[in-house]
Amino acid sequence: MTLSRIFKRLEGPQTMGKGPLFWTAFAVVLAIALAYPLFADGYDVGNNIYFLNWTFMALGLSIIWGYGGSLSFGQTAFFGVAGYSYGILTINFGTAYGLGVVAVLMAIAIAALFAAILGYFLFFGRISGIFLGIVTLSVTLALERFMAQTAGPQWTVGSARLNGFNGMSGMPPLTLPWFGGDIVLYPDIGLYYLVLGLLVIIYLGLRILVNSKFGNVLVAVRENPERAEMLGYDIRKYQLGGFVIGAALAGLSGALYTSWGQYITPSSMGITSAALPIIWVAVGGRSDITATLIGTLIVLSGFQALTIYGSQYALVVMGLLLVCTVLLAPKGLVANAGILLGSLFNRKNGSA
Amino acid sequence: MAMLETHNLNKHFGGLHVTADVSFTLEAGKIHCLIGPNGAGKSTFFRLLLGEHQPSSGKIMFDGVDITRLKPFQRINQGMSVKFQVPGIFSALSVRQNLEIALQRRLEGAELDAEVERLLDFLQLKDVASQLAGNLSHGLKQWLEIGMAISLKPKLLLLDEPTAGMSPEETHMTGEIVKQLNAEGMTVLAVEHDMAFVRQVAHRVSVLHFGRIFAEGTFAEIVADERVAAIYLGQSHD
Amino acid sequence: MDFVTTLVSSAYQFGDAFAFLVLSACGLAVIFGMMGVINLAHGEFIMCGAYMTVFAVNWGLPLPLAIIVGSLFAGLVGMVIERLVVRRLYSRPLDSILATWGVSLIASQGTLILFGPTMRGVGTPLGSFMVGSLSFSYYRLVLMATAIAVLLLLYLVFNKTRFGVLARATIQAPHMASALGVDTNRIYTLTFGIGAALAGLTGGIYAPTMTMIPTMGTTFIMEAFVTVVVGGADVFIGTAPAAVLLAVVKASLTSWQGQLAGQIGLLLAVIITIRLLPKGVTGFILKGRV
Repeated sequence: MTLSRIFKRLEGPQTMGKGPLFWTAFAVVLAIALAYPLFADGYDVGNNIYFLNWTFMALGLSIIWGYGGSLSFGQTAFFGVAGYSYGILTINFGTAYGLGVVAVLMAIAIAALFAAILGYFLFFGRISGIFLGIVTLSVTLALERFMAQTAGPQWTVGSARLNGFNGMSGMPPLTLPWFGGDIVLYPDIGLYYLVLGLLVIIYLGLRILVNSKFGNVLVAVRENPERAEMLGYDIRKYQLGGFVIGAALAGLSGALYTSWGQYITPSSMGITSAALPIIWVAVGGRSDITATLIGTLIVLSGFQALTIYGSQYALVVMGLLLVCTVLLAPKGLVANAGILLGSLFNRKNGSA
Repeated sequence: MAMLETHNLNKHFGGLHVTADVSFTLEAGKIHCLIGPNGAGKSTFFRLLLGEHQPSSGKIMFDGVDITRLKPFQRINQGMSVKFQVPGIFSALSVRQNLEIALQRRLEGAELDAEVERLLDFLQLKDVASQLAGNLSHGLKQWLEIGMAISLKPKLLLLDEPTAGMSPEETHMTGEIVKQLNAEGMTVLAVEHDMAFVRQVAHRVSVLHFGRIFAEGTFAEIVADERVAAIYLGQSHD
Repeated sequence: MDFVTTLVSSAYQFGDAFAFLVLSACGLAVIFGMMGVINLAHGEFIMCGAYMTVFAVNWGLPLPLAIIVGSLFAGLVGMVIERLVVRRLYSRPLDSILATWGVSLIASQGTLILFGPTMRGVGTPLGSFMVGSLSFSYYRLVLMATAIAVLLLLYLVFNKTRFGVLARATIQAPHMASALGVDTNRIYTLTFGIGAALAGLTGGIYAPTMTMIPTMGTTFIMEAFVTVVVGGADVFIGTAPAAVLLAVVKASLTSWQGQLAGQIGLLLAVIITIRLLPKGVTGFILKGRV
């Protein structure tokens, strides 16, 4: 009984897309994604994991900002904290015997703990709106500056050198413990399936979460914090909860990214990097995780395609995209397309 | 028995005393209306009860518990509930979802669904259940918020000008809703301007003037009190 | 070190931190205080002023004049941005942060495309003087004087001039002001322009002390943010005391543990301040009044 109630929450008031048509489309997209490595070179598949790595951070921002209404610019800080944590842990302890998986989990936990401490001061200090944005951005920039000045040899944790502006590298890739011996996940087909699997699980899990009681309160706080409080909810706890979940997802992105590329640099937390998740989520449509996911993948591919001409050109386009989205489609391009599709489909049904 | 008592409640901003030594008792099971001219301190008193302001001195007892230092949400969890003057609803969510968010405080599953349907019926919101709350007419928004407030099954329902901006028919309907809730055992405290509404529902009326309780009695007694008429009711009720 | 040297050194460090905080924040604070908009392209206006100053020096203008040119140019660019983008977003302050962030990306990366990763700057003028065994830069004293002059000038402009009175009226009651025949759009454009010009001034005056790179503005924005957050909504009441408070924190931590400790100390000071004084210094100062 309870299980059926949980499944019912896959569709709900807080997520776009329901009914057989949507889930058929979902199955088709998933099937294509699963079949893709059969038709592609392992090297390309490995490169394309890059796109999937970022989606978790974007989904997390959608929870904090789109659902919870708290504009946080700190996602890349949690990304960086988890990335460096993964590096330090795996360089010191290796990834054998399942320690790689432990390192990922620890990295996420450290990012989440950092978010919990920061979030406590922010939300229990009743900081919201603009101030939340600039304080989280200040923290992110301070972290970047901190990591950038760790070039000296005194900045080592165990045998891991932080290495300042040039970043830390040489950490081992993620390794799964297995009966016949460990599976080392270089950027190749195996890692692709792992990350894709995680994405599917987290996407469906978040659908359930945002349509649950917790999600209800999260959007209630976004819509009208005073009313939500006057229904007896301690809204600070819900804001903090959303913030920590979002940060943990950014942490997952950070750990996966670091193990995939085997490096992490302070500039991954800089002001330019911090803008990118905002752009993906804003362009996609922050108040819906499906729109966020689709938007993130589209914008990332566009960015990657433009990088051929130089990343500065790609960033100018990103800036334009953000300005135009805010001015012309503040709900997000993908979300608007989704609403349009939905209304077209409904009209057809109505007339039939 | 007293549902709510305030003892010498004071609130001043700088040198301005907004409420002065308000000692007030609300009997359980009653509908009590609080009236007074603009600037009499009604909304400050209300915010003190809710915990949105902290009193400068004095004490608030709710159902035998000292709630003076509790945060707003903690007071709600003691069994209070409130309907604001400007409808406090979740505009971008459906009417049904607004009620669900309130009801999920105490119910779940099939019970919650059944209670949503009962409230939609009771408040005549059935036809608009799947509309966005922000698109409702002003009157329907007010009823929706009353619905959210009573979803908590409060011991005490606080209403801040529940009929503000309503037509006479809507005001009358609101009065009937309040009387119905009271008949089911809810104590009600309403700050209200509309004398027709006060006449319709009030068991007891208190008049606030310059931050003090100026007079108290039944509606008939208050209307008969010339001092009250002088400050507030004016010529319209003599 | 004898007592006098220590005293001079501490005062110098405090003054330097104070000047940096005030000059970093003033443009941002004017725009935020008057219009409720956090301009994330603030750093790029600083960069814009700095670049223009260096160009003007290369054309043969003396440095003080070049700084003024840089400042005016940044103000002009600011007014254009206000017309094109910010104007449409006054009712949506969160969206205006995002839009100005987009502008910031376009500006910094566009500068990178146009002028390359670095540009030759101008040297720090005026030389230095000795107290005891320590050497101090005269130019830093100019920076401190400028910071104080900017604060005074802002106070005068917004309190004593006709424009200032109209601007404050527009901010407090926009409908009333426009009903009285004030061209509120012009006021907003000019106010944004003043904010941008102040940022440009900061860029110009710090240009001789810095490496000219397209992202040089980021050096300032964290300090600008924290000063504005601690200062609260009223620029005239909040910014100066916030800068004093933060300068004490920054200067003492910097001399004790170095640059980085100073910055982290700033951040901690901010987080603790917002926990204790959610409305910033402004809120604290105004608390006594009705």
